[in-house]
Amino acid sequence: MATLDRIARSLLLTEIISGMGLTLRAFFKPKATINYPSERSPLSPRFRGEHALRRYPNGEERCIACKLCEAVCPAVCITIESEPREDASRRTTRYDLDMTKCIYCGLCEEACPVDAIVLGPNLEFATETREELLYNKEKLLDNGDRWEPVLAARLKADAPFR
Amino acid sequence: MSEVKLIKVTVDGKEVEVPLGATALQAAELAGAEIPRFCYHERLSIAGNCRMCLVEVEKAPKPVASCAFPVMDGMKIITDSPTVRNARRGVMEFLLINHPLDCPICDQGGECDLQDQAMAYGGDSSRYHENKRSVTDKYLGPLIKTIMTRCIQCTRCVRFATEVAGVPELGAVGRGEAMEITTYVEKALSSELSGNLIDICPVGALTSRPYAFMTRPWELTKTDSIDVLDAMGTNIRVDARGPDVLRILPRVHEEVNEEWMADRGRFSFDALKKRRLDRPWIREGGKLRAASWPEAFGAIAAKFKGLPGERIGAVAGGLADAESIVALKDLMGALGSSNLDCREDGAALDGSNRAFYLFNSGITGIDVADAVIIIGSNPRLEAPVLNSRIRRKVMNNRMPVAAIGPRADLTYPVQYLGDGPAAIAEVLGGAFGEVLRNAKRPMILVGRGALARLDGAAVLAAAWGLAQSLNAVREDWNGFNLLHTQGGQVAALDLGFLPGQGGKGLGAMLGGGVDALWLLGADAFDPALIAPGTFVIYQGHHGDRMAGRADVILPGATYLEKDGTYVSTEGRVQRGRRGVFPPGEAREDWRIIRAASELLGHPLPYDDLFGVRSRLVGANPVFERVDELPPPAVVSAIPAGDAGAVGSEPFVPFITNYYQADVMGRASDVMAECARTHAPTPAMAAE
Amino acid sequence: MTDFLNSPIGVLSLTLAQALALLVPLLIFVAYLTWAERKILGAMQLRKGPNVVGFFGLLQPFADAGKMLMKETIVPAGASRVLFIMAPMLTFSLAMIAWAVIPVNEGWAVADINVGVLYLFAISSLGVYGIIIAGWASNSKYAFLGALRSAAQMVSYEVSMGFVIVTVLLCVGSLNLTDVVLAQKTVWFFIPLFPMFVIFFISTLAETNRAPFDLPEGESELVAGFFVEYSAMTFALFFLGEYANMILMSSLTTILFLGGWLPPFDVAPLNLVPGPVWFILKVCFCLFVFVWVRATFPRYRYDQLMRLGWKVFLPISLIWLVITAGVLKVAGWLPT
Repeated sequence: MATLDRIARSLLLTEIISGMGLTLRAFFKPKATINYPSERSPLSPRFRGEHALRRYPNGEERCIACKLCEAVCPAVCITIESEPREDASRRTTRYDLDMTKCIYCGLCEEACPVDAIVLGPNLEFATETREELLYNKEKLLDNGDRWEPVLAARLKADAPFR
Repeated sequence: MSEVKLIKVTVDGKEVEVPLGATALQAAELAGAEIPRFCYHERLSIAGNCRMCLVEVEKAPKPVASCAFPVMDGMKIITDSPTVRNARRGVMEFLLINHPLDCPICDQGGECDLQDQAMAYGGDSSRYHENKRSVTDKYLGPLIKTIMTRCIQCTRCVRFATEVAGVPELGAVGRGEAMEITTYVEKALSSELSGNLIDICPVGALTSRPYAFMTRPWELTKTDSIDVLDAMGTNIRVDARGPDVLRILPRVHEEVNEEWMADRGRFSFDALKKRRLDRPWIREGGKLRAASWPEAFGAIAAKFKGLPGERIGAVAGGLADAESIVALKDLMGALGSSNLDCREDGAALDGSNRAFYLFNSGITGIDVADAVIIIGSNPRLEAPVLNSRIRRKVMNNRMPVAAIGPRADLTYPVQYLGDGPAAIAEVLGGAFGEVLRNAKRPMILVGRGALARLDGAAVLAAAWGLAQSLNAVREDWNGFNLLHTQGGQVAALDLGFLPGQGGKGLGAMLGGGVDALWLLGADAFDPALIAPGTFVIYQGHHGDRMAGRADVILPGATYLEKDGTYVSTEGRVQRGRRGVFPPGEAREDWRIIRAASELLGHPLPYDDLFGVRSRLVGANPVFERVDELPPPAVVSAIPAGDAGAVGSEPFVPFITNYYQADVMGRASDVMAECARTHAPTPAMAAE
Repeated sequence: MTDFLNSPIGVLSLTLAQALALLVPLLIFVAYLTWAERKILGAMQLRKGPNVVGFFGLLQPFADAGKMLMKETIVPAGASRVLFIMAPMLTFSLAMIAWAVIPVNEGWAVADINVGVLYLFAISSLGVYGIIIAGWASNSKYAFLGALRSAAQMVSYEVSMGFVIVTVLLCVGSLNLTDVVLAQKTVWFFIPLFPMFVIFFISTLAETNRAPFDLPEGESELVAGFFVEYSAMTFALFFLGEYANMILMSSLTTILFLGGWLPPFDVAPLNLVPGPVWFILKVCFCLFVFVWVRATFPRYRYDQLMRLGWKVFLPISLIWLVITAGVLKVAGWLPT
């Protein structure tokens, strides 16, 4: 009986018809497409986009060269060098981030004790050459300056959940 | 020494036998139980003030500090119980009340006892909401950076300075929360062992100033090596990141340096980047110009062509590794030259018997010696770690120490018997002679400086004679000790890098005895002594004074940049490994000599490290036994000098400027800063 | 005028005009078929499909064509140059030539010959050569394997397709495609011959290398199959050929089973609509099902494909052929 049932099913193409029915129903459903450059989906405050190095409100850079981000980075894309600045505070002399290696896991942001390195909302930082994706400290601080209002708002929005 | 009585103690249900008088902490360690501690340090006295090592002892009403609690027979110690854990958590919370949360910017971060133990034994949060204490940072000289707010008052540094370094310059003032570690008056710590404070500080209160903020411990590549800047053979660990050596730490070797290390070896590595010879140079028309390796070898080959062997000489410096010394010796032999010398300071060392140039008692011999006479040496500057060992013996056992030579502060009481070699003959007649004769194991410690004189051979013979007449050279004890100052010297003597049959010594070579002189890192003598017409090949790593005189410069590697074999002053063969690569065109020294031999038409029969090390063993079997000391033996030979020919000139200090005593120290900025700091203050007009 | 039309030049120019009148709309149809496919696939995957170039994305085909024209034709090193260029031309021209016998309306065929079915069969069999040549001339293992698969698949399914057509021809009694359509005046053949219709349709999927039988270009294992090395216009020719073949096969399905240009019922409003409109609507329906199937089913495994062709379709179509012949004979419905 089971064999007969199976033969009947395959000869009567029941599975094929039900499959095609499914796609046909989808055909008439409302579409999920978002026309990207002109429409955008909402970004979570936890969205992990382009990196930035933040500053304190008085303009002092936050990063203290503790190298925890460098240590935690699973893609080993952060390179930090440090030495005492003239005022004897601990600062980086070099903060390089290889965006071509980065996997945007956000562990650097998690590891940072001073909220210096953050992954911002910017996802449109494609470049025409590979070299432009090798970020240095200047570029990262510049990102931080540009995005600071958004970055602060995002951290504030996410703060209750941390 | 009476037999140690063993008693039985139970630690966590495990029975162990410990000597009477041991502490609960030592018993727990024997039983394999880990006890957290901050103030306790096995080489320092017990303070018992951090309270981290609390354990429960059966029938004791409350937890006891195990580091200061002597065990008794049948005692039951519990190291891990809710009470103990609670007590430790409480102690940790108290310690962290005033400890800043600045681990991210602390150089101790990642290798900090407080961090580790807070993770292992501490609680998860603090209940302290008041303001934290803050303390003014103290000045401890150019080597040590202080962040005193981080201090947890364990007083390890105070005890180290007082007990090991012998400079009681640190202390604690104030009580309770106001307690501070201070130097009383602001001055740099006047010890050659000050770097060890950084190691013993369990938190980040005392950190290395040159290393400040440079890197993190987990980024470093760690290589085991040997310090050659003094002749102790200190075991070191070279911490490098990429091409840069960032710090040097001592390794524990109970028979050599325990866990201490001298400041010059620890801090002079910044010379690796300063004034380096990183490419060959040739003198053309009176001026040096940068050249390539083939050009440099070509210039040597051109000069050596047609030059008879006896017109070529070679001098090995004090930092050279055994591999390059044997390679140079073989090359010179192939060229037909026996003009070799390794005594660049002119010291009248006698290479005919190993006992004549070794620290025969061994460094551990100091612990069993019962009287010491120091002849023409300042061990505090020539081997600071060894000096602290003598000091420990003096302090613990009131070992009498006498000295012949210039007066110096050796950090322990010393009886001065005279200032010149003539006093050696008078020792036995004096009061100290009695002390020496009564000693079971007398030590005669002869400094290198005592031999680097015109009557050096006579001084050596006189010192040996003193040892003989005290019966200090016997089957179970050899009390004749020669203290070298640089780590490559003994290897050169072991390899016989001395004038051969009919060969000329250093003095004859300098005075025009040779037409071509190969200097393997030799720069302890004045270049002006070299006769004007001599063709000088300088193979070294720093553009020191000798490089200016050279006609060809072959850039070599420092001891941190090559795999090398070294023999310490006590005759211990040890191997150092390469921490970083030499800069630029510079190469390992024995490979340079090997390459040169090829171009000079006498290729050496080895071309890898294994081959050259086999050759070392062939040249002297002692190189086969790495990190082993030969047992003392009866020596019937006597040195060649005539003991009666000693002069009346007083001994002079061999090392006057500790921090810049060698080529590394002279090139290092950190050492220059130290030398400036520790230079004798010029007398004021009012004084 | 009649003289001119009867003269050789006249016949030639008339034929040319007819061919152009067929091919130009056909190529536009092909262009929009690609657009429609993307739109339908998008819709079935809850996407919008192309909607940026032009209103509703309608200019997308021309943008694609412009891109194809601009790009460089890359001939791989080691490729057989002449064959490499020839293969897409062959594929494309065969796809066009086949259209000569398709009647869009009564008498509206460029060549209304009596062996139309045979002609189509011959031409579609030749299509294998374009693919084989392309795969071999590329000098690439992927292309070669793709071509081998393609050839094996097309040859296998042509067998069962042949039997299906024979079944239809038994009912019609003529090889002329116009006659085939006219024979369906009473009932379209897909009703009495429904299993044959299904087999035929599935076989056309395989014949045109469409999903779920697109093994020759299986991306996951062969990158892009036999045309992996092709770029720009040579690639475009393959592409046009493939889609023209799809339309051809849909037309054939329409002619053989769906009554060609005939309205569903010969009643007032329906039979007023011109025949070609019915024809195009039916072709469009077939093409929609082509795309619908592609959106629904995953790719067959190669051995499953062969099993289906040889062990399922061939026996079923043979049996059905015998049954049909028997029924026709017994009932006396055999066409004269």
